[in-house]
Amino acid sequence: MLEVKGVSKHFGALCALDHVSATFLPGRIHAVLGENGAGKSTLMSVLAGFLVPEQGDVVFEGTSIPGGRPAECQRLGIEMIHQHFTLVPAFTAEENLALARTSQLVSKVDPRSQSLEALEIAAKLGWDIPRNQRTSELPVGVQQRLEILKALSGSAKVLIFDEPTAVLSPEEAEDLFRVMRTLRDEGRILILIAHKLSEVLSVADEVTVLRRGINVASAPITDVTAQILAEWMVGDLPPMHTEKRANRGAARVRATGMSVLGDRGETAIRDVKFEIRAGEIYGFGGVDGNGQIELAEALVGLRRPIRQDSLAVETDRDIGYIPQDRQHDGLALELSVRENLLLTGVRDHRLRRGPFLRLRKIQEWSRKLIQKFSIKTEGPDQLVKSLSGGNQQKIVVSRVFDQVPEVIIAVNPTRGLDIKATHFVHAQLLSARERGAAIALISTDLDELTQLSDRLAFLSRGELVEGEGSLALLGEGSPS
Amino acid sequence: MKKVLSSGIGAVAGLALVMFFLVLTFMIFGQPVGASLKAMYVGSVADWNAWSKTLVKMTPLILTGLGAGVAWRAGMYNIGGEGQFILGGVGSAWLAKMVVFPNLALGGLTLPALLLASMAGGAVWSGIAAWLYLKRGVDVVIGTILLNFIAKYLIEWTINGPLQEAKHQLPQSDALPQAAMLMRFDRQHDANIGVFIAVIVAVGIAICLFATASGYRLRVVGASPSAARANLIPSQRVQMMAMLLSGALCGLAGGLDYVGVSGQIGIGFSQQWGFLGIPVALLGGLHPLGILASGAFFGMLFAGSEQMARSSAVGTTLIYVVQAAVVLAVVFARGIERKVLPQVEAEP
Repeated sequence: MLEVKGVSKHFGALCALDHVSATFLPGRIHAVLGENGAGKSTLMSVLAGFLVPEQGDVVFEGTSIPGGRPAECQRLGIEMIHQHFTLVPAFTAEENLALARTSQLVSKVDPRSQSLEALEIAAKLGWDIPRNQRTSELPVGVQQRLEILKALSGSAKVLIFDEPTAVLSPEEAEDLFRVMRTLRDEGRILILIAHKLSEVLSVADEVTVLRRGINVASAPITDVTAQILAEWMVGDLPPMHTEKRANRGAARVRATGMSVLGDRGETAIRDVKFEIRAGEIYGFGGVDGNGQIELAEALVGLRRPIRQDSLAVETDRDIGYIPQDRQHDGLALELSVRENLLLTGVRDHRLRRGPFLRLRKIQEWSRKLIQKFSIKTEGPDQLVKSLSGGNQQKIVVSRVFDQVPEVIIAVNPTRGLDIKATHFVHAQLLSARERGAAIALISTDLDELTQLSDRLAFLSRGELVEGEGSLALLGEGSPS
Repeated sequence: MKKVLSSGIGAVAGLALVMFFLVLTFMIFGQPVGASLKAMYVGSVADWNAWSKTLVKMTPLILTGLGAGVAWRAGMYNIGGEGQFILGGVGSAWLAKMVVFPNLALGGLTLPALLLASMAGGAVWSGIAAWLYLKRGVDVVIGTILLNFIAKYLIEWTINGPLQEAKHQLPQSDALPQAAMLMRFDRQHDANIGVFIAVIVAVGIAICLFATASGYRLRVVGASPSAARANLIPSQRVQMMAMLLSGALCGLAGGLDYVGVSGQIGIGFSQQWGFLGIPVALLGGLHPLGILASGAFFGMLFAGSEQMARSSAVGTTLIYVVQAAVVLAVVFARGIERKVLPQVEAEP
């Protein structure tokens, strides 16, 4: 039996786990379910000994596990099958399997004999492993099998699968579930991290739901339905806000059967139709990876819809864009606060004289923004990378609102922020709506969406589903 | 204030390290430390004779340093300063062959035209590397390094072929007539007004980087390509422009060497000036004014080491050892600085 007792873990101001307790029994498949950022991965890292919790304890077969020492946890029989594989691409399948059995840096290696046991297990599970093929040439499904075999070649008692189906085709996933059931029946503890409701319902025996670091509920799978799990994942839904706002204006954004390609050439957004009027917030919900980024980038103009005329944005000003990943897309971390504010300001004619920047004016202007949006910083010259996440996001938000945009595209604008900073961003969005901005709020946070949106639709595999009933789609999306 | 202080500490630490490496090199080679240091002083700043050598050396160092700095700021790691320097020389020598030697009267426009030709030569060379990267995905470092080799052979071909002297004896071009060269301060020394051009260009680049919208965009592209993209800055165009400017600066260094000092191109046209631009740029913190200072500093060290070699038994090979030791010391110092003082990446 593996027990988690009152475990808490913070990352800076963010509470990843808040007094979480759970019990995992041998001979059962336990699913740990939750949205992105709910704390699933943190919990698993604690279980496998990668992270030491600030509070609480993990007890395995009567003794506390040595937190912070993953190698010793492995020796106890706790194995993790990572989402990102830990195989050596240039090795053959056989050599990778042997590697798991090679304990010392300098020792005799005989891949053939050392991989024998793992290959026997593979045969028992009904897998045919091409032992002499280079790992990099194997399909991901087979690579994952190698990863599982590596874990099994020890005396694994606990197997933790981190979103294992993320890279698999439906048939491969089905086969994985078959193997998971076999391993369960041999008396092991299996833990499956997931955010797809359908697969949890089909393979798990027990389910534990995390939401914002809190263990919301644990129950046998027979006691729950998809609807109940969805509600546990996203929280109680306030009544949908259907009142039509009186001061809505003309449509500023109009998508008429817009399709957008993703980075790999796949159709990330498929034939969506919507319009966003002046003075309204249009919420786009859904699990990450269902076309959010592509939709946002198409609206901002960073990505072209397949048909040019399928998207019309009517505004004389720049579109205000709050990108999803502030550290990657929102900010240049190595530059100063002033220079990051200037990312929108550089197009502002008040701050320019021909090709030249009006440096004194810009300094004054950035001081004003820092004050107005109460950004906590030593001053305009401080480097952005030394600010907290909330203050970094305030820089992005303040420079967008400073330009008084008529169209705003905000993607997960409060992800990772504490309550106060979240409130600040929400207040800014609402006041922009009051003055007549058309706002697309693309978010995975359902509370945020229902609280702010005038209309709400969900993205599911690139398609847009409107209104009630779309909630059941939440867990069905493709993984991020 | 903090920044000034920290870059001050960095500079002092760097200087101390350079001294340490110098002394160490002298000891390893069995040279008298005191006398060698004195020779370095005498050779670099003791009198006008020494100063003129320092000025001649710092001119190309500043310009190739600026060239490296501008490209690196935009995230384009241009290692091809050497090739661009050579192409700069070839560019102006070619134009000289076209207009100066046939006695076509361009009057006061001759020198500016020769220098423009050198910038064009350098820019073509860096432009090829930039194009290969942006359109064909060839890594900038690899592309520019390989173009250095091609430049070496290209200049050898030109001085044995189309640009060879009229007598067709030696692999070199005809020497420019004195009248077509940059003004010197006096007849006895090589020092010329090229050094003013380098200083003016450094100030110009500083203004461009920190006080214009284009320079700002260049720095954003270098600091975060993804943030640049999200804010609709055309990264590819910015990086292409940065590389062209970088190559033009390195080419200008070659052009100034041609019209200011050598007056002709030959086998040993560049003495690694393009490569040395990289440590100059690093020591200068990729800041144009810092590069100006570090270019001057390297100029002194190189002039001094020549004098020292002349007065020692080991001879000229020691110059290269000392110069290499200095470059290593500088890069090493920057590394330490970055660890100890992470906020030292100073902006004005």
